[in-house]
Amino acid sequence: MDALVSKYGGSDLDDLNILEEDEDEVTSSLPQSVSFILPPIDSPAKFLRAMTDDHTNPSAPIKLKHGTTTLAFKYQGGVIVCTDSRATQGSWIASQTVKKVIEINPYLLGTMAGGAADCQYWLTYLGMECRLHQLRHKRLISVAAASKILANLVYSYKGMGLSMGTMLTGVGHGGVFGLYYVDSDGNRVEGNLFCVGSGQTFAYGVLDRGYKWDLTDEEALELGRRSILAATHRDAYSGGYLNLYHIQKDGWVHHGFDDTNPVFWKQKLEKGEFQNVSTSLD
Amino acid sequence: MKNPTMDVLLGIRGKDFVLIGTSKAFLHGITVVKDTDDKTRALNDHTLLAFSGEAGDTIQFAEFIQANTQLYTMRHSSDLPVSSVASFVRTELASSLRSRHPYTVNMLIGGYDTKKEEPQLYWLDYLASSAEIPYAAHGYAQYYCLSILDAHYKKGMGVEEVAGLMKDCHEELKRRMPIDFKGLLVKIVDKDGIRELEGF
Amino acid sequence: MASSYLLPHSQPNVHPTTASQPRQHHWSPYTENGGCILGIAGKDYVIIAGDTRSSEGYSINTRTARKVYDIGSGLILGVVGMSADGEELVRKVARKIDDYKRNHDKHITVAAAAVMLSRILYQKRFFPYYCQPLLGGLDEEGVGAIYSYDYVGSFEREQSRAYGAAASLITPFLDNQINFKNQFVPGSNGEEPRPKVDLSKEQVEKIVKDAFTSAVERHIEVGDGLQLVTIVKGVRAEGEEEDEDEREKTAGGGVISEVMSDLKKD
Repeated sequence: MDALVSKYGGSDLDDLNILEEDEDEVTSSLPQSVSFILPPIDSPAKFLRAMTDDHTNPSAPIKLKHGTTTLAFKYQGGVIVCTDSRATQGSWIASQTVKKVIEINPYLLGTMAGGAADCQYWLTYLGMECRLHQLRHKRLISVAAASKILANLVYSYKGMGLSMGTMLTGVGHGGVFGLYYVDSDGNRVEGNLFCVGSGQTFAYGVLDRGYKWDLTDEEALELGRRSILAATHRDAYSGGYLNLYHIQKDGWVHHGFDDTNPVFWKQKLEKGEFQNVSTSLD
Repeated sequence: MKNPTMDVLLGIRGKDFVLIGTSKAFLHGITVVKDTDDKTRALNDHTLLAFSGEAGDTIQFAEFIQANTQLYTMRHSSDLPVSSVASFVRTELASSLRSRHPYTVNMLIGGYDTKKEEPQLYWLDYLASSAEIPYAAHGYAQYYCLSILDAHYKKGMGVEEVAGLMKDCHEELKRRMPIDFKGLLVKIVDKDGIRELEGF
Repeated sequence: MASSYLLPHSQPNVHPTTASQPRQHHWSPYTENGGCILGIAGKDYVIIAGDTRSSEGYSINTRTARKVYDIGSGLILGVVGMSADGEELVRKVARKIDDYKRNHDKHITVAAAAVMLSRILYQKRFFPYYCQPLLGGLDEEGVGAIYSYDYVGSFEREQSRAYGAAASLITPFLDNQINFKNQFVPGSNGEEPRPKVDLSKEQVEKIVKDAFTSAVERHIEVGDGLQLVTIVKGVRAEGEEEDEDEREKTAGGGVISEVMSDLKKD
């Protein structure tokens, strides 16, 4: 039943303009030979929930990596994508150098929030589907269609315990910029601006305040970087490095993987921001 | 933070004044009971207390503090300075916390110290933590507003600039909070006392 | 296998005898066998070291359990967590690497093996292996590579990584001694970070030994022996026979050697 719904249901009106045919092809070509080993019991999902940690079950044996701040926004000059790089397992910082922007192909980026492995695996799988689309139709897949492949895919596993909150963004055929929020609950939302993760509210604060469509490239890059910095400062589960990308008509460009600490002090000492942090104890 | 609320408390300290903004919605569960609520009490001529938290506790505790600071003014013919008010509130909250029925109240205290001639803003939570800081927020509003203030608050800002910041925070809350909190009631505390600030 | 697709809420692999029995709710096929592994990559070498204690609760099962394995094609794999799952994983990877060599008549590269291992782990996304693996090898330029994984296959190439019981003790030490984190040039008032340098294999071996002897002092699940496995470009360990063909063919041109030493046994 769920499979049928995911196969034929949920066509969004807002995509109909250019991408109708794309999505039909996409949903019909979905089933691939992917099979996963399941525990030999009635409810694999219940087993996984008992063994895997979340806020309700912190003492579980398997601790997956969580916690993040990621953002992406469209503007006059394309799309900006920025993330932090921290991975936490409870209060343990498992890594400060995680690449949370997944380079699906030269035109598509996906961001990583939730389960690191789920995001890595399914976005790589999506890259394969996109390449197949390109070979079959002799043109780039649209971001709308690509995001729908992903949404339908994770929806078919709903309730099994996948955890991902991803922003899929890039340029499709005809140089159309796309930005979609897709998560493992089954949401797929088109939009101009998203922040995802435990630090999302802090990023939204700075991003909303500084956002306008007519931003120059320099302003847009700086705003993306500054918004993630804000989140790394206030959200303990975010930190590490600022990973910045710009998507243009001809694909994405990487704009650095910079340590937050010197950026923070530069911002404070040279621009007078972060007045709540005192440099002396008095 | 235990059970953050949708009630908004915001405080920003400027060059020679403090601005305190509170949401006008009086919430009871999912119902907006009133849209002209005032979550502040004037403790004396130059000290304003803003509060949110457990229904009943909030007003009871705030008015208890208000009565005692006013009593102090009457007995000594002079106002308790802001830092002392904050200290008093913290002490009362700390002893309440160790009683059978602790008050669950989060507060901001904004005031102007007429002796030192400087504005002060105190952040206190229901566990009786207290800190003097340049800008502060309580409830879910923290998550949206603190990053804006981190980025755009500067030392020595005037009334216009701080009111502008308050408006930026207000805009963000209207945009991102899932309920209508019926706007902000913004008050200013400076050397001339406490007044409502129009235009929010 | 063509286009068989796993439907949500279906149970294709349900074991006939255990299904629908009431005891299943408490069914836990996992245990923790302690121990610790540590991997460091250098300019032209890789080291993965592990202690040799295997325990369960407060009991020591054996003092001579290897945690680092030669999985063929000049690659090494360290595993900690549940040793049964670890062993199964090692055998599966080793087998697949051997298959690759036979099918393609060439050795797999570390990068490709890294992806392969990720897929093996993710295949058990809904019934994970309870072990954390570290893959080591020389890349096609002969530069050392360590790949670290979580339980279900997310991976990253890193300079150094500690996994297991004493990871929280060893990691901060590694950050400081390998990546020079929080070290500054003397006299620069903490403003100029100490520049990174390529540490020699000998220097790193000392650091690895210090890391383990220190961890043994403060963690009950670490101790007994130290297994130090290194991959070095084109050099055989003393006393071993030269095997030109084998060396020429591994993707990174690496040769694996192992040294065992003692750790405290209390």
